[in-house]
Amino acid sequence: MQNAKDSFYMALRTRLASINPGHTLLLRGTVRPGILVEEAEAPFSQIPSDVFVLRWLGLGVDLELASTMSAEECEILYQTSGTQSFGGLDRGRSMSALDKELVTILQPFNTPKFNYSIQPPAPMLSQVFWDEPAFTTATIQRDRLSRSAKVMVYSYQEQGE
Amino acid sequence: MTANWFAAPAPIGRRVRAYFAPINRVTQTPVLFDPTAQSDFDLNSPPAPWIDLGWIQGFTREACSKTSPVLTGIPAGTLDQVRETLEAHVSFEFLSWTKLTMALATGSQHLNLLVPASGAAVTVLAGSTASIVQLAATDAEKFQAGSMIAIDADYNGQTGFVGAPISGAYLRGALADVDYIRRVTFNVGLVTSVGPTSLNLAEPLPGGAPTADAKLQAITGFVDREGGSFYQEWSALFVIAAAQGERIFFHYPRLQSVAGAKETYSPLDAKHKSGLSRTLLKGEFMALPITDALDGERVLCYRSFLPAANALI
Repeated sequence: MQNAKDSFYMALRTRLASINPGHTLLLRGTVRPGILVEEAEAPFSQIPSDVFVLRWLGLGVDLELASTMSAEECEILYQTSGTQSFGGLDRGRSMSALDKELVTILQPFNTPKFNYSIQPPAPMLSQVFWDEPAFTTATIQRDRLSRSAKVMVYSYQEQGE
Repeated sequence: MTANWFAAPAPIGRRVRAYFAPINRVTQTPVLFDPTAQSDFDLNSPPAPWIDLGWIQGFTREACSKTSPVLTGIPAGTLDQVRETLEAHVSFEFLSWTKLTMALATGSQHLNLLVPASGAAVTVLAGSTASIVQLAATDAEKFQAGSMIAIDADYNGQTGFVGAPISGAYLRGALADVDYIRRVTFNVGLVTSVGPTSLNLAEPLPGGAPTADAKLQAITGFVDREGGSFYQEWSALFVIAAAQGERIFFHYPRLQSVAGAKETYSPLDAKHKSGLSRTLLKGEFMALPITDALDGERVLCYRSFLPAANALI
């Protein structure tokens, strides 16, 4: 299942870098695409602004198939306060831009599965695939707009996993 | 040793995509899909002459062929069985309204609304292509971006199937309407820009480059009728692109509309069913047989499956 989670994250990260190279964050001294996996970073009290944060939630497994299928729910959280140059008055527009970016990087709804625990990453045999995102209502805290989208990510367990 | 295969469960897909291709009604020649050579095409760019009609929903196939037992003995027992009739039906809903989807979802001729009603066709000049129509400067200035047009020859009294290469109607007797072929033609397009002597179209004309005798007329939309004696007949291809890269193809070489114009309504918000709803064209079709050159068998449709890469077969 870790390979599916890694592959999903890397697919979104690669697609984000492709459609908007300027959407980055500075983390541990490195500039990288504006997306991270919460469980793979040091805990933070509040998610960073203008960054997609992947949080892995539920898990389901279907053992009665030719290959075991796992379904993992991923919540993608993001928030924005707009830009300084507009005094935050563009936070609605920034939220719309993040919404659009997320919809874009989620398509197509599948990606090849890789084993990222070795270098270089090794291609596996099957595809990781997912459903359409289910968006939540935006929440407002002072000047900050937040939203999340839940996606069910599916994969088949391959031999050796 | 590391396994280089996996056992793929049943394909998981999102929707079904529909493609149609015109049958030559005069020679009764359908378009055959060859899965060995054409199966990996880009779903957004099908091989010619297939026309992409987009995603469809509610795709249902029903085999209605009848089989009877051959009985023998007393009391009778089944010795063998024979196929008495060949019949299959297909139904689904189109998710868009276009000239072609509307025509396919009606049981009869599908007409373009010409403006004015008659006598305003302008001559299409040589050098025109399926995407760029050449006109005299005085004719080109009558159109603007956003104009909808129909292009085809004048009607001059012929009977039988009319419209080429896509037949839009069958005439049993001659008519007096010089614009009739342009009323039923599938060669319609949206003008995106106008040059001094040309019109640029948003998409290529379904029938290809205009013929030498073609004329152009503005249209405002389309109309169909309940009744009539003409049946739309097209070759059809339906594709399910599954999550592991598998593809399932359902190919009907001859598919005829079998029901009149019908719509279904799909609420945009499941919690507010009396609110906005999408109006969908309902298509219902009957498959007609062809003789497979492979072995001379008469068949209605083909189902092809291309497994995922590395999947056990």
